[in-house]
Amino acid sequence: MKYRTFLTTLALFLFSFNLGIVIISITAFKDTIHRAQERSLDEHYFITSALLQDFHAVEGRGTDLDSSIPSLLQPYSYLAGDQNVTLGLFKDKELVYSNSSVLSVPNGFLELPGDGSRLVSIQESGDRASVLVSGKLPAPYDLYTMVYLYDITDGIAAWKQMKNMLFFAGLIVSVLFAFGLHLLLYKLFKPLSQISQTSRQIAAGAYDTRLPVSGQDELTEMAQSFNHMAKEIQNQIQQLATAAQQKQQFIDNFAHELRTPLTTIYGYAEYIQKVARTEDDKLFATTYIMSESRRLQQIAYRLLDLATLRENKIERKTVEIKQLFLGVEQALSLMAAKQNVQITSECHFDSLECDSDLMHILLVNFVDNALKACGANGHIKMVAFLNHGQKTVMVEDNGKGMSGEHLLHITEAFYRVDLARTRNGGGAGLGLTLCKQIADSHGAELTFSSEPGMGTKATIIFPAENRNEWNQKAKILQ
Amino acid sequence: MATILIVEDEIPINELIKRNLQAVGHTCISVLDGSAAIHELSQREIDLVLLDIMLPEMDGYEIFRQIRGTPAIFLTAKSSLSDKVKGLTLGADDYLVKPFEMLELLARIDAVLRRTKKTSKTFELDGVKIDFESRQLFLHDHPVEYTPKEFDLLEVLVNNRNIALSREKLLELAWGYDYVGDTRTVDVHIQKLRKKLDMDSRIKTVYKMGYRLEV
Repeated sequence: MKYRTFLTTLALFLFSFNLGIVIISITAFKDTIHRAQERSLDEHYFITSALLQDFHAVEGRGTDLDSSIPSLLQPYSYLAGDQNVTLGLFKDKELVYSNSSVLSVPNGFLELPGDGSRLVSIQESGDRASVLVSGKLPAPYDLYTMVYLYDITDGIAAWKQMKNMLFFAGLIVSVLFAFGLHLLLYKLFKPLSQISQTSRQIAAGAYDTRLPVSGQDELTEMAQSFNHMAKEIQNQIQQLATAAQQKQQFIDNFAHELRTPLTTIYGYAEYIQKVARTEDDKLFATTYIMSESRRLQQIAYRLLDLATLRENKIERKTVEIKQLFLGVEQALSLMAAKQNVQITSECHFDSLECDSDLMHILLVNFVDNALKACGANGHIKMVAFLNHGQKTVMVEDNGKGMSGEHLLHITEAFYRVDLARTRNGGGAGLGLTLCKQIADSHGAELTFSSEPGMGTKATIIFPAENRNEWNQKAKILQ
Repeated sequence: MATILIVEDEIPINELIKRNLQAVGHTCISVLDGSAAIHELSQREIDLVLLDIMLPEMDGYEIFRQIRGTPAIFLTAKSSLSDKVKGLTLGADDYLVKPFEMLELLARIDAVLRRTKKTSKTFELDGVKIDFESRQLFLHDHPVEYTPKEFDLLEVLVNNRNIALSREKLLELAWGYDYVGDTRTVDVHIQKLRKKLDMDSRIKTVYKMGYRLEV
């Protein structure tokens, strides 16, 4: 585009500019010739009329006309000097006088009509050009023909010089113009090439590339919108990448979760088939096959729970907090007793708007995790309180705790605080993922705080009791 | 046979490996983490370590760096090429990805032990004596005539003793992958071995499975 514009503009300019020069040259040339002709005709007329008077005078004195012609024409010989004029007088096609030794006249110019009209022409001989005027003297001297030859070589040379000068100047102007035009177009098209370069970079994956924004014109505005677009693209790519990474992490973890029980199940089945000989051996192997199958089953159920929760709407009812806590304590009392862990609860508000089954699952998960963290002789506290008007439920334990790095990831599916992903504590690794989803569907927020060796606090904060807003938020989240 | 240390935090898998290795005559020690593994290695002579990579606190690579000198096979769920390369460049003798077949593990253990000269060169049972190095068979100190395939088959049975081997597996292990033959070849050779070595009660037919040398 840039080069096309450049070439088109340049061609148009050169064409019109040179056309102008040509027109000027032609006009100047015509003018030069015209003036030479006018001048020649004037002189011719002047000399002819003077000569005619002289002829009358000579004849009046009765002197022979032919012999006195040289003396009559003598005064005009000055013209032959620096004026480049040659005079010739013919009598019936014979030269009777010339102020120059060389005078050549084409024959046609001597055969003129006798009505006093004159012939004007440009005569070229060798490298010289002249204006030739020939005319008969009026009767009774119409035997005489006066030829006036005006050399215009110098005039043409001057014109040629001027023409050359014009073209030379034109060339310089054209070069300057081309240079200027190129600069202008470069400046005009620079943002465009910058945009295309930046787009290419963005397309190649450098999403943080931006256009420089300067000035206050249309291009600045465009650069700003372009940058805005680039930023949006970068954000979305980032989100996609994060989502893909999370999904990949989920799949990797899921594969690992499946692989370990499957290895065990296959291995023990093979053991029964090929190695086991006593009933004891077989019982031993089948016990492991069953427990590992149950683990797979648990993973399947939890995944199903997650899927169901994603699709189904929650049923909100007013739930008594005391009832909720009691249910959780009952569900886990056996396990707590086995570990000799004490579970206590505290209520600072009475009821909560939530899906009671889901909230039960969430709290059981919290307390279950706390039980795993506590080991023997721990203490777990469930507290319901108002925090800046927001209903908050917290489960606190005095177990082994974890570092901040783990806290960021604990709601990810299959994430294990322990690098080795041991199952000594049991579970499918989906509990907190489920909790997160339950919290999301209630429009509530989950937070965890922990310190290694000091215990962990798991908190769910419900939005302020504005039902409409709450419903809307929940709807958006679903 | 050899003394093998199993370092694996998944108790069922640890137990499974231990039972299988004990069946073929190895002495096994099971530990669940790195510090216990290092403790065991300092306490007694260990011929081979089976190391899981994902372990609590100290990972398999780290344990391997600390037990330099003892042959080791990595057992892991990590199957990526970079993990394998990392394991092998560290100097591990082999690398096995879960889930694996027990026979493969046994074969690899045998291969490593052969390289490190820890395999027993002779095997004795009920008056039968097998010298693997000179490939000689004795029954009550009298040399026994045998064909090369019979000896190969016997060697496979001894190396995987107490494990039932299907006829196909026996063909594959004793005759080789490319052997195209009837599984009845195996039956014929087994009959001959039983007769020559008086091992009717030892080489058992496992119902619908194959054969097992019971020790």
